[in-house]
Amino acid sequence: MRSTKESRREGRNFYFFISPWLIGFVLFALFPVMASLYYSFTEYDIIHAPKFIGAGNYQELFQDEQFWNSIKVTLKYTFISVPLTLLLSLFFAILINQKIPFRGFFRTAMYFPSMISGVSMALLWFWVFNPQAGLFNYVLSIFGVEPIAWFLDENYAIWALIIMSFWGMGAGMLIFLAGLQGVPSSLLEAAKLDGAGRLRSFWNVTLPLISPVFLFQLIMGLIESFQVFTQAYTITQGGPNYSTWFYVYNIYVNAFKNFRYGYASAMSWILLIAVMIITYAIMKLSNRYVYYEGGSER
Amino acid sequence: MNKNKGKLLLGLILVFSMVMSACTGGGKDGGKDGDIVTITHYTIDSPDRTFVEKLIPDFEAKHPNIKVKVTKAPYEQFDSKLQSAIAAKNAPDVTSHWGYGGFMEYYNKGMLMDLSPYLTDFKASDYNIPEDVMNIYKVDGKTYGIPVNSYVTVMLYNKDLFDKAGLPYPPSDYEDKSWTFDKMVEYAKALTVDSKNLNEAQYGVDFGFGERDQRPQYFGGNVYSEDTWTNGGKPSEINLTKPEVVEAFKKVYGLIYDQKVSPTPAFSKSVSGQFGDPFLSGKIGMSVVGSWSLAASSDFSFNVGVAAVPQGPNEKVRSVLYVDPLFVLKDSKHPKEALEWIEYLVTAEVQEKSIELSGGNPPVNQQAAEKYYSNFEGIDPEQIKQVFDGAYKYGFESYNHLISNYSQINELFINELASVENGDKKVEDALPAIETKLKALLERLNK
Amino acid sequence: MSQPAYAGQPKKKTKLDIAPIIGFIILLAVTIAMILPFGFMISTSLKTTKEMLVFPPTVIPEQFAWGNFKELFINDEIKFGRQYGNSLIVSIATVIGTVLSSSFVAFGFARYRAKGSQLMFMLVLGTLMLPYPAIMIPQFLLFTKLGLHDSLLPLILPAFFGSAYMIFLLRQFFSNLPNEIYDAGRIDGCREIGLYWKLTLPLAGPVLATVAIFSFIWSWNDLLAPVLYLDSQENFTLPIGMAAMLSSKFRIAPWNLMMAASLLSVLPIVALFAVAQKRFVEGIVLTGIK
Repeated sequence: MRSTKESRREGRNFYFFISPWLIGFVLFALFPVMASLYYSFTEYDIIHAPKFIGAGNYQELFQDEQFWNSIKVTLKYTFISVPLTLLLSLFFAILINQKIPFRGFFRTAMYFPSMISGVSMALLWFWVFNPQAGLFNYVLSIFGVEPIAWFLDENYAIWALIIMSFWGMGAGMLIFLAGLQGVPSSLLEAAKLDGAGRLRSFWNVTLPLISPVFLFQLIMGLIESFQVFTQAYTITQGGPNYSTWFYVYNIYVNAFKNFRYGYASAMSWILLIAVMIITYAIMKLSNRYVYYEGGSER
Repeated sequence: MNKNKGKLLLGLILVFSMVMSACTGGGKDGGKDGDIVTITHYTIDSPDRTFVEKLIPDFEAKHPNIKVKVTKAPYEQFDSKLQSAIAAKNAPDVTSHWGYGGFMEYYNKGMLMDLSPYLTDFKASDYNIPEDVMNIYKVDGKTYGIPVNSYVTVMLYNKDLFDKAGLPYPPSDYEDKSWTFDKMVEYAKALTVDSKNLNEAQYGVDFGFGERDQRPQYFGGNVYSEDTWTNGGKPSEINLTKPEVVEAFKKVYGLIYDQKVSPTPAFSKSVSGQFGDPFLSGKIGMSVVGSWSLAASSDFSFNVGVAAVPQGPNEKVRSVLYVDPLFVLKDSKHPKEALEWIEYLVTAEVQEKSIELSGGNPPVNQQAAEKYYSNFEGIDPEQIKQVFDGAYKYGFESYNHLISNYSQINELFINELASVENGDKKVEDALPAIETKLKALLERLNK
Repeated sequence: MSQPAYAGQPKKKTKLDIAPIIGFIILLAVTIAMILPFGFMISTSLKTTKEMLVFPPTVIPEQFAWGNFKELFINDEIKFGRQYGNSLIVSIATVIGTVLSSSFVAFGFARYRAKGSQLMFMLVLGTLMLPYPAIMIPQFLLFTKLGLHDSLLPLILPAFFGSAYMIFLLRQFFSNLPNEIYDAGRIDGCREIGLYWKLTLPLAGPVLATVAIFSFIWSWNDLLAPVLYLDSQENFTLPIGMAAMLSSKFRIAPWNLMMAASLLSVLPIVALFAVAQKRFVEGIVLTGIK
């Protein structure tokens, strides 16, 4: 039993300590979210005062070809890159979890590229995919493949970006590796005694146990890939022919190049809602498929 | 409901600014001492623009009551940074349309100050600025900008490649009517070396006449209706499917895929990056390009010559003009002082000095022009003069200065034509779709 | 490097197992593929302008153009040194801000219960998912109207209000610290702040290192926010500076210089990785799973 005085003091302490976050939350999250909701109903070029236009921006968005295209591009990238990267990182985590010489070296070598993201990575890949003097076409040419223009060809640009994303699988691999090492060997032994083969025991024992890891990575991967910007800004400028016109790049262009802050805010809000829905949907679905160790926290 | 939200917003902003100023200590705001006025000159962060910094000491000595501050941004971000500076109530006093957008875009957004009231004593002839050049920046008799540099479109050619191929140099005289588009293609064929090895590959001509939508003009096709040039840059009609425009685009891209004398975008971008000019790599025989490329000619690794843009199907237009004015922005608190600075910049003496300091910016002051023509080592001044005179005679102002919201229009052309430039699509298949999209865009922009 | 923790299964082997051998071969091939582009980067960074465009590319440059690295720093059109400095300022300030504020807040969440503390924590979790593009426009407008445009402050300031990720991570750690040490601390006359500063922080060294490393990397690689806020080349951070190298200023795209710049720009991360590999792995795993 705690006295009210003590609990009041604890309350004071609590809010004292979280106050930086609370202020930050209001300034950098709550306020912007609300403000962008407001802007999304206005026409605003930041020179003139915002002009309220009701749902005008949203109406226009739904007829805007570039809006739908940016969704298409983003989803195409997401639905190919995220699952493949996830499966690859799981696959290599399993491999590295075997008793293989130089395991530490492999782990480091696979993980290392994923740390180098951002513009350095983008520049490197722009160069690797250079149609005339790049490494990638050179390697392909050894196998007799004709040079491909990659980032300069609307049919290949997005694929170049997807291929590029595989080099970031190392982080996911590490997470899976940790998950795999958390699978109790006793369970695997038991499965073996029951006569289960490697594949079977993976399917029946390992996979359910690491399913929360899988789920978490899936959500994070999706959210991250909805926000692709660096590659579009640095390498392709959304082109050729809008084939890499990612959703966030579209927001950027509309707000900061075309000065349509209201219109872009409407897109921001749609992104926010999409992220919320996807997160919620996956969490709901996961209740059916994902195994959580009995009674752990949360 | 909206009103409440507005209040909430206002409240939050207030709280925020209080917190912020508490955080940063509010060490801003220099204030004005006495009568000294500071004006800001906003420009692109490249040497041929930032040279004005070197003129400031002299100007300030002559105008002790005025201080000039230069702010800069990279080309790609020039417009957006200007916009945010205006929003931050931090607008520069003097600038030009050095980004993607042009005069009409600024004008229609109400960003520019009408200079007429301050120009009662100003005579263009005092500064040797031709009257028709001065008129480009007048709307309804009001002056919004003072021209400072006038660029034209020229043909640059790589003398080394011409020598190697044993070809005669192209003429610089616009009246030499034997110098035609077809002749150029013929030369280009002789200059082209098709190879996968970047170090061996070489192309005859890079035909960079204006922006993409202006190129048909050279062949006698007009993408925009005539009223565009008189009504504030808002075309009432788009003619992308008219036969002469389609034919014109076919000719332009035919250079890459039919005649195979022009580099593909893949080649250009491989050697020169996303925005670079492949001519500078020394692998292009002839390049039709803005005369600013001339400014860097002393750094070229090869010998360069200038020539007339060849005679094309359109006898009237052979060169795109880019006259850069200086504007005073509407929010300027010191328009008079800003104008003093601008007038200083167009005096013959300063324009002459600027040629050297900038590496070769073409002056608008015709008295200084003579000096400009003789500024380029290894190139005969007489030839440059001929090329400029011809260009003025057969010139048309660049679309990006004349059409409202040009940056968005240009973006559309760049993306939509990419598949044609890559050879994936035929001109006649791509244009109808572009027309539809362009119409929709213009309808929204000009509503 | 590798920990002994892997030895899970019993050591006995009765028959030859070919699976690990196949696995080894696959891993070797993939590792080479993973590393190859970086080899290309190093090799290109040392090539002359002429050699960089040769096809097929040479593996080892005919002559090492060490001057490329020097060029980055002396070429006034690139301002690489200046931008490197800016990036260091932003990232180091971000690290300090994040570590201090996040640990402070996490301490509050871990040690005290109060009315609304559940809700507050839910909000922290909520902001984990909040995409930056959804909030960047109002943030940008605010900072702009406050005249903080073209300064490094908008990139640094938010870090001083805690990062949801790091608060979450640190709270987990602080919650697991035994209560006894705090009781002891109180008896010694520590006030609440003292409990945080003198008792908790010193115990949290490794986790704080993880927080520091990751906030450094995130801030070091960030492009979107700098693109919005920074105008002039003197104020650029490395990512925009390098992106700008692709644009028109240069005659021929200086791939060799860009690769040299990329190489130098990953150096701090490589150095961190070499010094604190364990923290990296731990951080990935901790932020990943929980």
